[in-house]
Parts: sequence; C-alpha cells; structure tokens
Amino acid sequence: MEHYNMNLTLKVWRQKNTDAQGKFETYPVSGISSEMSFLEMFDVLNEKLINEGKEPIAFDHDCREGICGACSMHINGRAHGPWAGTTTCQLHMRAFKDGDTVTVEPWRAGSFPVVKDLTVDRSAFDRIIEAGGYVSVNTGNAQDANSILVPKDQSDEAFAAAACIGCGACVAACKNSSAMLFVSAKVSQLALLPQGQPERKSRALNMIAQMDKEMFGSCTNTGACEAECPKEISLTNIARLNREFISAGFTYEK
Amino acid sequence: MKWSQFFNTSIGKKLLVGATGLFLCSFIIVHLAGNFQLLYNDGGKAFNTYAAFMGHNELIQLIAWGLKIAILLHAFIALQLTFRNRAARPVKYAVNPGNQTSSWFSRQMAIMGSILLIFIVIHLANFWWKFHFGEIPTQNYGGEEPLKDLYTVVQVAFKELWIVVLYVIGMIALSFHLIHGFKSAFQTFGLNHVKYNGLISFVGVWLFGILIPVGFAIIPVVIYFK
Repeated sequence: MEHYNMNLTLKVWRQKNTDAQGKFETYPVSGISSEMSFLEMFDVLNEKLINEGKEPIAFDHDCREGICGACSMHINGRAHGPWAGTTTCQLHMRAFKDGDTVTVEPWRAGSFPVVKDLTVDRSAFDRIIEAGGYVSVNTGNAQDANSILVPKDQSDEAFAAAACIGCGACVAACKNSSAMLFVSAKVSQLALLPQGQPERKSRALNMIAQMDKEMFGSCTNTGACEAECPKEISLTNIARLNREFISAGFTYEK
Repeated sequence: MKWSQFFNTSIGKKLLVGATGLFLCSFIIVHLAGNFQLLYNDGGKAFNTYAAFMGHNELIQLIAWGLKIAILLHAFIALQLTFRNRAARPVKYAVNPGNQTSSWFSRQMAIMGSILLIFIVIHLANFWWKFHFGEIPTQNYGGEEPLKDLYTVVQVAFKELWIVVLYVIGMIALSFHLIHGFKSAFQTFGLNHVKYNGLISFVGVWLFGILIPVGFAIIPVVIYFK
C-alpha cells in the first residue's frame, strides 16, 4: 500500500476524573503517516500538547501487539475503530483519509466508569472472573502430558474462546452494555475441557450472578459484540453460556 | 440457586420472555387460520360458528387466559429488561455505528413490542370485549341457538379507514418484531447449531416475519375495498 501523510481533525473526550463532567475537545493534527498506528498518532498529539504545556490525553495501552486489550477507544462510533478483528493499536492510519474528522470516545458503560479521558476502569470483568472463571488445581506433581484426552475439535473451540483478551469491546459495542460475549468466552473455554468439569455448574451460576450485580445490561442477540470483537469470539459461545446457565439452574442442588 | 433467584437473573428473565414469545408465535398461526374465514361470502356462517366454538370450549378458554397472561408477562419482563439495559449506559455515545454492526430490526424490539402492546389492547377492546361483554347482533344459521354475529361487527369495523390503517401498522410492527424475535428466542434457549440455524432463521424471517403479518394485514384491506 502506498504511503501518504494526512491532516486530521480529532474530537477527543476529555474528562478530569470519574466524577467530573467530561466534554469533547477538538485538536488538529498534521503530518500523520499512513503507516502509523492509531496510538502512535495519539503519541504525536500528546507530544505536541506536552510541548505546549497542556495536559496530555490519558489513554490505556500496554503491549501494542493487539493482545493486552487495554486500548478502550470508541472511534467514529466503532469499538477499536472501523476495521474488523483489530484492537486500537492494530488500527493503522491508512484506515483514514486526509481531512477526516475522527471522534474518539471512551467505552460508555455504567459498569466501566471513566478514570480519565479515554481510560476506563474494567475491573468489573476481574470480579466476574473471581466469581468462577477459574479451575481449582491441587498442587503436586505435574501429570503426564496427554493423560487427559481432549477431542481436537473441542480443544480448538476452547482455544477460540480462550482468545478473549477481556478488552470490553463487546460491552462497548452492545446497545445494552451487555457483557455476555465476555462471560460466554470465559465460561466456554472451561466448559469445553475436562479440567473445567468439576466446577462447571457453580461457575455458570456464579459468573452470571456477578455479571448482573455489576449492572451490565442483558443480551438481546443483536450480534454487535461479535462484529466488534478484536478476537472474533463467536455468538455460539453466548448460546453455550445460556445452555450452561439453564442446565445448571435446573439441576444444581445448591 | 433457588427458582426465585434463577428467574430473577438476566438470563432467567430472558428465558421467560423467549418462552412466552414462542408461545404467542404458535398462537398467531391458529388466529390467522381462523381469520381467513372472514373472507368467505357466506354471511358469516363459518366464522361465527368458529367464534362461538372458540368462545365456549373450556380448553380453548383456558389457553386464551394463558395467552393473556403470556402477553402481560412477556411485555412486563421485556420492559423491565429494557429499562435496565438503558440504565446500563448512563452517558450515551456521540457517534453510533447504526447498521454497521447489527441489524436495524434487532435494535427496535422494545419500540415494536410497545406498538404491538398498544395494538393488542385496542384490538381486544374492538372485538374480544364486544364479543364477550358487549351487545352484538345475532344470526341464526339453522342451528339450535342463534350465534353472535362477530362477522358483521368485523365487516363494519373494517369499513372505517382509521381502523384499517391501525391494523396495518400493528402488523408492520409484528413483522419487524418477529424478524428478530423468533430466532433470538432460540439463541436465548442456547439453541445455536449450524445444522438448524438456517432453518430457524428462514422460518423466523419468512413465515413469522413476512407471511403471517401480511396474511393478517390483507384481511382488513380486502374488507375495506370490498
């Protein structure tokens, strides 16, 4: 792809802290290379703001390799921008044209309060995991490899679900701010494997109870989460979560 | 988890919405089959005989009350979930993706459902209430007792333009509601399988989303222009 430079107008959400009233600020940026990532473009802008003695824009990032799930940016109405299956760091500026106006907002959900500017607090996800997204393993010698047989198809499916990076794009993209795609991936990766069986029923019940407690919305099967997920987690996981929850609810004795 | 807790979770509530929704889907097939008798030019004999049977058979009456409970339950829980879902995003986005990430129909369930609920209330007042509790003319088709002439009540009602328009709007709402609603219920029950998804989607869109609402809507239109 041919390299080009562009000038953009950025409309960025600025918010001092969780309790402060936020608002959009407009920033012109010039000489942006089409080879830059979206976050590098923000680095350029922040450098300029710092040189001008202004407060840089706070945004979350860690690996910049598309696997940490920290970059919670809603770009022109799309979670992680216009490209499918990408995080913000993997979104490159060639997705935009010279003269474009780009609106950048943080994830909007009551369960993900804004910490500052484009940084949100996704610890609600951690608390859902704490409620049951794990397997209990007794310490001792490591087992022989392959002593537990797992069908290949099933391990592939579990692996696809385990690709979830907990970035929260599903919540951000959902009109109900539902966390069902996230919870379904976390329940699925364990429900599909032998190691997940002992806590299978309590896991589904407890994680959904925590999800509701965190005040995420409920799923109306619009499919927006699947369309925006950077790891392309499938809606079939939500169906599996429903099955897990229903069968646990109907049969679990506690 | 106790039953009371189970049906108070978001998924538990959605199960009730889906189950009542599919029950109501099964009902509209029967309702439409009966309605087509309104198009007969037999002075209402077939339709009034059918209406008398439906109005007096105990089993049918039991199901009819079940339907009314299902409608109320479906609407009440769905609205409760909708308000909760709205509250889950206190600050809205300045830019929304529109149809890029989800179908328009899937985002209008609450609006279409509310239009349908209003329609159902007017519809019951127009015909069900009149049939059971109102003064309506009778017709004798040679049976032992004269039958209530609901056929004529319907024919008269559908000569009014505003009622015809209202019914067509109600059926557009039904169509849009079921294009997403039917298949969505299956996903909520956890029934998502490559071998059946195509069939479920086809039945949801073509039978419940298009054929049945069109079938309902043509009856008032035909009577109006007759």
